[in-house]
Amino acid sequence: MNEGGTARRDKGGRNVKKFAMLLAAGAMALTAGFMTGGANAADKKITVVTWNIPYYKDGFQKWVDAFKKIHPDFDVERIDMKGTELPAWYQTQVVAGTPPDILDLQGGIWLEYASQGGLTDLTPYLKRDKEYTDRIYPEVLNNWVYEGKNYGAPMYISKTLLFLNRKMMKEAGIEKDPTSFDEMMADAEKMTGPGKSGFMTLNFDWLYWPLFKMNGIDFVTPDLKKAAFNTPKTVALVKRLADLTKKGVIDKISWTGRWVEPNGAFAAGTVGMLHAHAPAYLWFKSKADWVNSDTVGAINLPGDWSTPNSHAFVMSAGSKHPEEAWDFMKIATSGDGAVTFGEQTNNLMGDKIADQELMKYFEKNIPAVVPALKTQLEHFDKLTGNWPFAKDAEIKDAFYPELQAALLGQKSAEDALNAAEQKVNRILQSQ
Amino acid sequence: MAAGTASAPALDQRRRPPAKTPFFARRRTRDLTLIWLFLLPSLVIFALYRIIPLGWNVLLSLEFWSPYKPARFAGLYHYQEMLFYDDAFWKVFWNTIIFMASAPVGIALALGVALLVNTRVPGRGVYRTIVFMSYPVMTVAVGIIWQWLYNEKVGLINYALISLGVINRGIPFLQDFDLALPAVILASIWQVIGFYMIILLTGLQSIPPNLYEAASIDGASAAQSFWRITLPLIRPSLFLCFVVGIINSFTAFDLIFVMTGGGPGHATDLLVTYIYSSAFKLSKFDYAAAMTVANFLLFLGLAFVANRLAGGEAGAIKRGA
Amino acid sequence: MVKRQHWPIHLALGIISALMLVPFYWVLKTSLTGENIFVYPPAILPQDPNPFYFVDVWYAIPFLRYLINSVIVSVIVVVANVFFNAMAGYALTRDFPGKAATIMLFLSCMMIPFQVTIIPAYLITAKLGLLNSYFGMALPLMSTIVCIFVFKAAFEAIPKSLVEAARIDGVPDWMIVFRIIMPLTKPAIATNIILAFIWSWNSFLWPLVVVRDVDMQTLPLGLSRFLSVVEDTTGALYAFCVMVLVPGLVIFLLAQKEFITGLTSGATKG
Repeated sequence: MNEGGTARRDKGGRNVKKFAMLLAAGAMALTAGFMTGGANAADKKITVVTWNIPYYKDGFQKWVDAFKKIHPDFDVERIDMKGTELPAWYQTQVVAGTPPDILDLQGGIWLEYASQGGLTDLTPYLKRDKEYTDRIYPEVLNNWVYEGKNYGAPMYISKTLLFLNRKMMKEAGIEKDPTSFDEMMADAEKMTGPGKSGFMTLNFDWLYWPLFKMNGIDFVTPDLKKAAFNTPKTVALVKRLADLTKKGVIDKISWTGRWVEPNGAFAAGTVGMLHAHAPAYLWFKSKADWVNSDTVGAINLPGDWSTPNSHAFVMSAGSKHPEEAWDFMKIATSGDGAVTFGEQTNNLMGDKIADQELMKYFEKNIPAVVPALKTQLEHFDKLTGNWPFAKDAEIKDAFYPELQAALLGQKSAEDALNAAEQKVNRILQSQ
Repeated sequence: MAAGTASAPALDQRRRPPAKTPFFARRRTRDLTLIWLFLLPSLVIFALYRIIPLGWNVLLSLEFWSPYKPARFAGLYHYQEMLFYDDAFWKVFWNTIIFMASAPVGIALALGVALLVNTRVPGRGVYRTIVFMSYPVMTVAVGIIWQWLYNEKVGLINYALISLGVINRGIPFLQDFDLALPAVILASIWQVIGFYMIILLTGLQSIPPNLYEAASIDGASAAQSFWRITLPLIRPSLFLCFVVGIINSFTAFDLIFVMTGGGPGHATDLLVTYIYSSAFKLSKFDYAAAMTVANFLLFLGLAFVANRLAGGEAGAIKRGA
Repeated sequence: MVKRQHWPIHLALGIISALMLVPFYWVLKTSLTGENIFVYPPAILPQDPNPFYFVDVWYAIPFLRYLINSVIVSVIVVVANVFFNAMAGYALTRDFPGKAATIMLFLSCMMIPFQVTIIPAYLITAKLGLLNSYFGMALPLMSTIVCIFVFKAAFEAIPKSLVEAARIDGVPDWMIVFRIIMPLTKPAIATNIILAFIWSWNSFLWPLVVVRDVDMQTLPLGLSRFLSVVEDTTGALYAFCVMVLVPGLVIFLLAQKEFITGLTSGATKG
């Protein structure tokens, strides 16, 4: 006790000093905080938000340089956001009345914003600037149409394809790539073993839907008004998928994982086939030395169906400089700007002419990725899972948990599909 | 309590001066002003960042609102939707209750650790640091690591169980509708136990040591000291841990987003994650606001009960009571 | 005799420590090897560890800039927390009309998750002109309810005779708090510093929303750089997490002293 007492007294003096230092540091920090606060945005500025490509710097600068040649008095502010945070950030900015001019969106997120009037209709610009519009694949452009109006300038295109682990195929004695759903599942079964599963799919953003479409199942009626999926055929398919999942032929991660888990598992070499979109290739390649064009095949899914998961630049309805923003969008998504982007991020773009140049570049520099990329330009007529629902996210959120419960054996296929049908119809009718 | 109350009653009498004389009246006013001045900075911050936003949510819950459209009055529409049409809400509601009900496990564990590292055992600083170390790790990293630990095929837990011969096939912890929530809860306890420990340790450290000395002179056993001195005196800290346990479902937000995204189904969705996705992913801000209000009322009720159980005034130590 | 008393404690703490350390070990190991963690069987020992990923992190984001920003924000938060929470905690140990209501108000403020306040909080911060500033990032965290109650509990444990004596001598309240009470509640101060620092240091969503300028970003915002969808950043991701973790641990280790000095003979007597 005595010891403690003296120590405490000694400390008293030091404490005062420490305290004073803390105070001084705090005061300095406070002033620094106030001084840098509220830097006012320059009037002539456009803000561009990109989607999880923080490493894309030189290329972006090239876009800015090209843009400044046309609009020397304008500044470009660039913000990069991860997909999971972008909606929260963007909608906060919209409420505050300071939305960014240009926004890079993936999949179906734009539908919600467009249907509520949050985005600028680009149709007049596309009609006016024919030389731009003619460069873009019409089917790709069409992916960004809601109620007859076009909202997106396509950036990079990606859709699902089937990656084959040729090593595992060889071990299982499979010589031929699958050409039908039945063959695919039979092959998967052959490749399944301890610690190994035959088939895996990504499941976010409707990416699993080609499995249903290739079995002749439609999600909704053609007028998008009513659910069409609740049929005996679907029940049978869901039962079959659930059964295969239970047996481990289809990896459970198919129905629960998102990006890292399924691709990581494929990289580990324990999965025979992976149904994923093109960017998966370079991701799992970067994780596994064994991946090359001999060991991993990239083909269209049997039946050639695929779900697109592309990106486009959209423009906020609140943009104060729509003309300049449009010019920037054109620069970034066509010609040299598109080539730059494709080369630096290893993607194909919506611009046909740029893609020719890009394919040459990939053949020369990254030949391994070419087979996967080739599939991206094929069968644009067989896209599915890209319905322009105003409440796309809500429908997904109502449908998938039910399907998932059935696939993982938690619910019977009949019950799950009935519940899903009811929920989906309720949303479709509330529009 | 015997030792704790020894000197207290006398103090309580001294604290209440006769308030009649003008000198004391003035002093009392001055005191009151000072008390409120002391509370002011915190009150301002909470008003700005808690109370006003809550009010905003209450208003929003009664409207049809989106960032893009002017608001329309909706009455109780969203509340009806929530209570009668959204089965996911109820799933998530019960998940939240289960999640909170698991807090005492973590707290008990943390109390054990805190008592152990509060002894004079050599190397206690090392143990303390190790137990605490999980708390400052970014939650995203915690989520990624636990997701891997639980992995059906390559995860360490299954690897260990298989190697020990406990099971012969991996268990898909996070893919299983029944195991996913307990698995997430365990990861959350792992992360937050250091936090509980430090709060409890603060409480243990505030106990005047002479109480134990007096008790041991009176011949009290270790168990008696624990029940009659330690436990009553760390009541405020325990109360705090329970409150933190309640709101831990907020802090588990990142963990759940990384580990399961709320799935499978809504098996690991908590109110806070469901509210967040409803607002920002589905742009149903108005509906999310209604759930926010429900969430608030639920938690407030629980905090109120906890406060009552702790003896009021947030578990204040009432000497001589 | 001492040994016989200690070994069960060591055993219990050893087991707990081991369990606590396993996940942590994996973070550290992966940050040194960057290996694919989806490989079976898991490699228990690090194979060919190297500091490459730490260097990588340093250059992949403006680490120093983010670090300085994080430090500034956290210093503001910690200093404000110690003062404001001590003041509020002290006020709550006194009797005054409306005390029970104030306590309930504080408790209820805890029950509002930050995630649902993003939009109004942003609008308020914009109104205050604090967007894109250190102060704006710090403000919502400058007083925390948990820590107020930590102080309150610690103050209550102080023998009232001390305070009363001072008050009868006419010592003003602010002096009582800062000169008499606080030096006696060092563990509570340490707890405040540790917790306020960690919360501010790891704060992610709020800085993300409130800061636009790249030069103003804090360390956790660098995280997205390592959650890339097109390249393997596993090693860098974990290295980054370790690098972000270190300051929190250092603060804890420094503050530990307060827990140890506070420890007196009593605890082991039982």
